[in-house]
Amino acid sequence: MRIAFAGNPNSGKTTMYNALTGKNERVGNWAGVTIGRKESPIKADYANTTEELVAVDLPGAYSMSPFTPEESITSGYVRDEHPDAIINIVDATNLSRSLFFTTQLLELGIPVVVALNKSDINEKQHTKIDVDKLAEKLGCPVIKTVSTDHKGLQDVVKAAVSENGKGQKAPYMQAEINLHDKEAVDAEDRKRFAFVNKIVSEVEQREVHTNERNKQDKIDAVITNKFVGIVIFAVVMWAVFWVSQSKVGPWIADWLVGWIETFQGYVSGLLDGGSPLLQAILADGIVGGVGAVVGFLPLVMVMYFLIALLEDCGYMARVSVVMDPIFKRVGLSGKSIIPIIIGTGCGIPGIMASRTIRDERERRATAMLTTFMPCGAKIPVIALFAGAFFAGSSWVGPVMYFVGILLIFLGALLIKWITGYKYRKSFFIMELPNYKIPSLKRACFSMLERAKAYIKKAATIILVCNCVVQLMQTFNWHFQVVAEGAEDTSILATIASPFAVLLIPLGFGAWQLAAAAITGFIAKENVVGTLAVVYSITNFIDTDELALTGGANQVAMTMGLTTVTALAYLMFNLYTPPCFAAIGAMNSEMKSAKWLWAAIGLQLGTGYTVAFLVYHIGSVITGAGIGNGFVPGLIAILCMVAIVIFIAKRSRKEFDEEYELHSKGTGATA
Amino acid sequence: MNLTEANVGESCIVKDIATDDEELKAFLFRLGCYSGEAITVISRKKSGYTVAIKDGRYNIDGNIAEAIQI
Repeated sequence: MRIAFAGNPNSGKTTMYNALTGKNERVGNWAGVTIGRKESPIKADYANTTEELVAVDLPGAYSMSPFTPEESITSGYVRDEHPDAIINIVDATNLSRSLFFTTQLLELGIPVVVALNKSDINEKQHTKIDVDKLAEKLGCPVIKTVSTDHKGLQDVVKAAVSENGKGQKAPYMQAEINLHDKEAVDAEDRKRFAFVNKIVSEVEQREVHTNERNKQDKIDAVITNKFVGIVIFAVVMWAVFWVSQSKVGPWIADWLVGWIETFQGYVSGLLDGGSPLLQAILADGIVGGVGAVVGFLPLVMVMYFLIALLEDCGYMARVSVVMDPIFKRVGLSGKSIIPIIIGTGCGIPGIMASRTIRDERERRATAMLTTFMPCGAKIPVIALFAGAFFAGSSWVGPVMYFVGILLIFLGALLIKWITGYKYRKSFFIMELPNYKIPSLKRACFSMLERAKAYIKKAATIILVCNCVVQLMQTFNWHFQVVAEGAEDTSILATIASPFAVLLIPLGFGAWQLAAAAITGFIAKENVVGTLAVVYSITNFIDTDELALTGGANQVAMTMGLTTVTALAYLMFNLYTPPCFAAIGAMNSEMKSAKWLWAAIGLQLGTGYTVAFLVYHIGSVITGAGIGNGFVPGLIAILCMVAIVIFIAKRSRKEFDEEYELHSKGTGATA
Repeated sequence: MNLTEANVGESCIVKDIATDDEELKAFLFRLGCYSGEAITVISRKKSGYTVAIKDGRYNIDGNIAEAIQI
């Protein structure tokens, strides 16, 4: 038996789904967290029946007629896939809006159980809802729930099971009208709302009225203030990066790295006396390379924990309000900030979160730019360079994020300019949810889930990549072990060298660095793993110890990078295209090959240009004079600029023509 | 007059949604913002307006506020 979860956005569907199935899907306190359908069996202690119950979580929707792409998933599913029952999660604090959708669901003939969620907030505000009367009026079971506390969930499932196969009678049936006749549909919808209003006035008693100014509005007045709001946002984000990457994260990581080294020593010991080749591959390649990546896990975990707290408290909706005027100016929407914040964890859900943006151009631009925000996989790269070249300075991490935001702005301006964005008026509307104390348990779950995914990735993709890199480095094309001093003849070196030439104008033309950057496209953690393998360094994180042994300098020296070139290399890795998986996500959100290639081109160009500028300007500032390969680099960048101008001209012309046609078209029908 | 001219804290009745963007109109409708329904401006800022529609709180930008006739 399949049970679909449907209801308004931010009514608590996914929270209930997680509670019932034991899953760990993303939840958050804003409208539009869930953007796709999810299915999972309901746990036996809730099911109370021998039949297998499958819960289907759907994105929030306000009605059966979709408005954003993710809403159409919901109406499409309940209409066409015939679930056996629908649990309609209703936000009990906003009954008058929610029941509109409820009455539409009741018309489908599928048994509906209404879960009156967030009942605890109603109790606090002394809002009383007559559940029995509501059930009678709607003609379906109504059960009070608090899904964050798992209250009433068993009853809801039980009700859904007992209604199975009984069908559903609708209390309100839409009259037979021509659905293409706008006026008729409008009149019909008004009647439906009138019906809902009548029910609400009969079952609900309120003491606190929503149109009165309350405590939350006072908080909002500060948080969404044009200037103070931005300062608060900057401070909050800085605190997240600082705590996760300079304080708590490294503190735990230090301890973890000790264990990894012990393990590496143990493996080396076991292989002692065996083939030195085997030792190199197993101890240095596998344990060393993967260990170097795993060592950074605590930083990522702490970051996820803090982001989960932010998502849960209701702040995200406010941030998008604060950012809207600024983002609008560069051709994005205030909602673009949500994908960007999610993108600090992982770019893929970040890109997918852009689905809630209604305007297609804004949505594509957001998906294109989100990954300039360094994701969790880039944290090891940042931490490695901050430790080895900047003595663990705490400014390096946050600066990388703020440069990311800056690039998003610049990129957005560029897209706005290229697409000649001037025709469409953009609208912004965001529901402001009630603030809530974030759940620590939830944040822990989110953190552990991430840790699991990270370790899985380290044990699969990164492990394989490291082995391949290690083998390619050990052997030459005749499959002979590369002799000491002849490292440049290895397979890896010969493949990476041509790419390294391209990087000379950026200050890091070594084949080792090129190889690391290339493996980074498979997964960004690989940059660290590959560097660990090609330079045989493992302890990247413990900067204090490195400083004592001169290790940090040693790392810096082995790589042959100066502070300036290291910064250029770091930024190159951060702002070039993310991993292939993220590019895949971009492809599925953009649904346009043109936009996808534009995105990849933009990211490659940006990474190259940023590294070029950092290297040459940095060299001049530090007194080293203009760096190597300035002229070829400049020519490459000028070529990119020329391409951009060419594309802009062409697309603006197309756009003008299309707009003209479009306005003529609508002119004729109006 | 439109919503940008409404007094803060005073409940107003929506007269019309003046926009040629049918989708936006439909969306506002589903939130309960259509002619004959009440809307209250909770706070007004340069960047946008916080409004109460039915029992929900929303932030809308100037473009939408201008479209809402009261």
